Amino acid sequence: MRLRATGLVKTFPGVRALDGVALALEPGSVHALLGENGAGKSTLIKILTGVHPADTGTIEVVSDGSDDWHAVSITSPQDAAAAGIGVVHQERNLVPAFSVAENIALQELPHRRGLVDRAAMRQLAADCLAQLDVDLDLDTPVAQLSVAHMQLVEIAKALATKSRIVLLDEPTSTLTPEEADRLYRVVAMLKQQGCSIVLVSHKLEEVFAVSDTVTVLRDGRSVCEGRPLSELDRSAVVDLMVGREFAELSPENMRPPVDPSATPALELAGIATAGGHRDISLAVRPGEIVGLYGLVGAGRSELARAILGLDAITAGTLKVSGTQVKISSVGDALHRYGIGYVTENRKEEGVFLEQTVSRNVAVTIWKKLARWGVIRDRSEVEVLDEYVDRLGIRISGPQQLAGQLSGGNQQKISLAKWLAADCTVLVIDEPTVGIDVRTKAAFHSLIVELAERGMAILLITSDLPEMVTLADRIVVMHHYRITGEVANGTHQYDEASKQIVRLMHGESAA
Amino acid sequence: MTSLPEAAGAVTAVRRKRRFPIQGTDLILVGLAVASTIALTITTGGNLLQPATTRAVLQFLAVPIVIGLAQMVVLAVGQMNLSVGVLTGLSAIISAALMVDGGVTPWLAVPAAVAVGVVAGLINGLLVVATRINGFIVTLATMTVIAGLRYGVNGTGTYQGYSDGLVDFGGSSVAGLPVVFIAAVLVAVAVAFYFRRTLSGRHLLASGGNPVAARLTGISNDKSIVVAHTVSGLLAGVAGVLVLMLSGSVNTSIGDDLLLPSFAAPIIGGVALVGGAVSVLGTCLAAYLVRLVYVAQAQYNINPRWVDLVVGAVVLGAVLVSQSRQGKETS
Repeated sequence: MRLRATGLVKTFPGVRALDGVALALEPGSVHALLGENGAGKSTLIKILTGVHPADTGTIEVVSDGSDDWHAVSITSPQDAAAAGIGVVHQERNLVPAFSVAENIALQELPHRRGLVDRAAMRQLAADCLAQLDVDLDLDTPVAQLSVAHMQLVEIAKALATKSRIVLLDEPTSTLTPEEADRLYRVVAMLKQQGCSIVLVSHKLEEVFAVSDTVTVLRDGRSVCEGRPLSELDRSAVVDLMVGREFAELSPENMRPPVDPSATPALELAGIATAGGHRDISLAVRPGEIVGLYGLVGAGRSELARAILGLDAITAGTLKVSGTQVKISSVGDALHRYGIGYVTENRKEEGVFLEQTVSRNVAVTIWKKLARWGVIRDRSEVEVLDEYVDRLGIRISGPQQLAGQLSGGNQQKISLAKWLAADCTVLVIDEPTVGIDVRTKAAFHSLIVELAERGMAILLITSDLPEMVTLADRIVVMHHYRITGEVANGTHQYDEASKQIVRLMHGESAA
Repeated sequence: MTSLPEAAGAVTAVRRKRRFPIQGTDLILVGLAVASTIALTITTGGNLLQPATTRAVLQFLAVPIVIGLAQMVVLAVGQMNLSVGVLTGLSAIISAALMVDGGVTPWLAVPAAVAVGVVAGLINGLLVVATRINGFIVTLATMTVIAGLRYGVNGTGTYQGYSDGLVDFGGSSVAGLPVVFIAAVLVAVAVAFYFRRTLSGRHLLASGGNPVAARLTGISNDKSIVVAHTVSGLLAGVAGVLVLMLSGSVNTSIGDDLLLPSFAAPIIGGVALVGGAVSVLGTCLAAYLVRLVYVAQAQYNINPRWVDLVVGAVVLGAVLVSQSRQGKETS
């Protein structure tokens, strides 16, 4: 089966996730789908599999040996299955208590008069596993399988609906190298059988090893449509992924360089954590913005949590303003050492949605505001007023609930409470995910301003342009280790981004 | 456990491993049931094995089994139904009212009791799906409404002598086993068959086990929730019929004491509170164990207050055990 999609557009509130993407798939080939975080890969996969219907655009298919293209409408997962498109999502989609056989056949459980036909179900599952040349006990509950085996079950599940197109979303991110090898042997077998495989992966070495053609997405557009991978080398692919043009948002970030001999406000030396970090050494000086970049899952937020005392540090030394410290809790970090943490997950961790904005801002300094354990509303409101002005937060009054604000304003509230706390070090995790461009720019100037006032900032973001705009130095993490550091004094996107992407994929900087 | 055969195109044999039919929690429960029965028999000087005692124990096991299954069905989809107890009472009292006040024959009044359960269960399910409010809260509200309706049928009055035939049949035995107990066992077998073999039952378990996966495979989680609540209501209606058969009189308080047993049986029986897994055998065995606590209370003349304390503590213990076990599995 061949498939061609053209002009796919998908907008979410405030974001144009896909802006005219095209994709063409040929039978018997492996097609790599590449792009940086947020380029639109996941959205494209969700459109092809009916999780989110596209706003506009057409998807056409034609069966092998025919020339009769016809458009298909995919508005539900069932539509996708009927069109012959199967998917193995990044997150596991199996029913843990069900057997291997039942999970494989779940989409269309064979049944007669309302009863499940177990013999037919087991036969179907056995056929699918045989097609993959995989030997798994059909009656084992999938909860007892390893992650790698679960993945094979999911591929078999895609075959159960006669899929001729199989989408694999980051299939090897949780596999060992041996398990990944076996997975790719299965992929090769599917290819031999004339299936068309779409592979989404951040691991370029795997992509080059198994793929025939490649489509690269950037900012919701395809910048390379189905080119043979043999025409390209790694650095060409990286260039395509990262792009050259970068002009839209750049606040004035021409701060004088920080004195490298100053005592770091935050210094990590040889830190190892219970979460798996090894040999992490980095320093942030007052007035400096240090970026922490890496793939999702590289261990950046986990490192932040360890610094804040939420996860255990098992080796190495942590110094705040030159003094060695042991931080046991977030309260400890904030009140004793002046380290604030603006979380990635503001809905769940950063803002009390059911509380008034004034409470939200004052929460970090309640101890300071309290008189004999009692906090007067007025003292909270005074604190709020100051930051509403400074950050340009739009609220109807101090009694408004934080949950009623827009995402950007919630994020500002979340930031305001750390400003109120008067920190010396601020760890900022993904400050601008899901907020619009203008608020984003306002945020960027705010972060720069904080650094100008002498705050030491450790910035975690997956948004590469944002990182290059803001950070003075960028430390790159891969698999819970630091793979290198990129000086970024000039904030030139072109040169910095390429070095970063290479480090990010575990290579040494060129 | 598995390996990739070297030869290409090797065909996987459709083999089926024989497993010991009873495992895990069920095995522990069987052991507990046997041990406590023997202990109780010995300490009461064999009183438990007297035909009359055995009969009574089995008779009064019927309602706890069915009500436990009614709760289990909603637990399967990760929901709860607080209204099962009062719904049993409402079904019984409406049916009794039809027979006494309306002169309706039991042949119609009995199906009517079941129908009351089905309708109430359907309403529970539709409310949960339509409002998106947690099932716990929805059924807490309907529990209160149903308790009010139950009172409205006959105030504090008692219905007696609604059908001698029905009560006689309820008190009779076949092959030494009370008819109501046989009925409860048949219900349990039907529920087990439903979850094991029917498409609808498998869909409920898929929705409970992994709602996202279920949705992506084309299973409607909303439908599963409605079906689960409806089946739960149906079983509560059946329990109402058993109540009518067991006692010669029904009044407003019927069903008030069933809420804790309804949770105790499935939870001690090893049914996951988060949904996705059921155990009919475990639920029945746990209902028996809970029943034995009441028997022991009667045999030793213990203050009845202790019974609730013991059952409550065991339920809490069972939840803690299953939680620590889940923790181990995921780590």
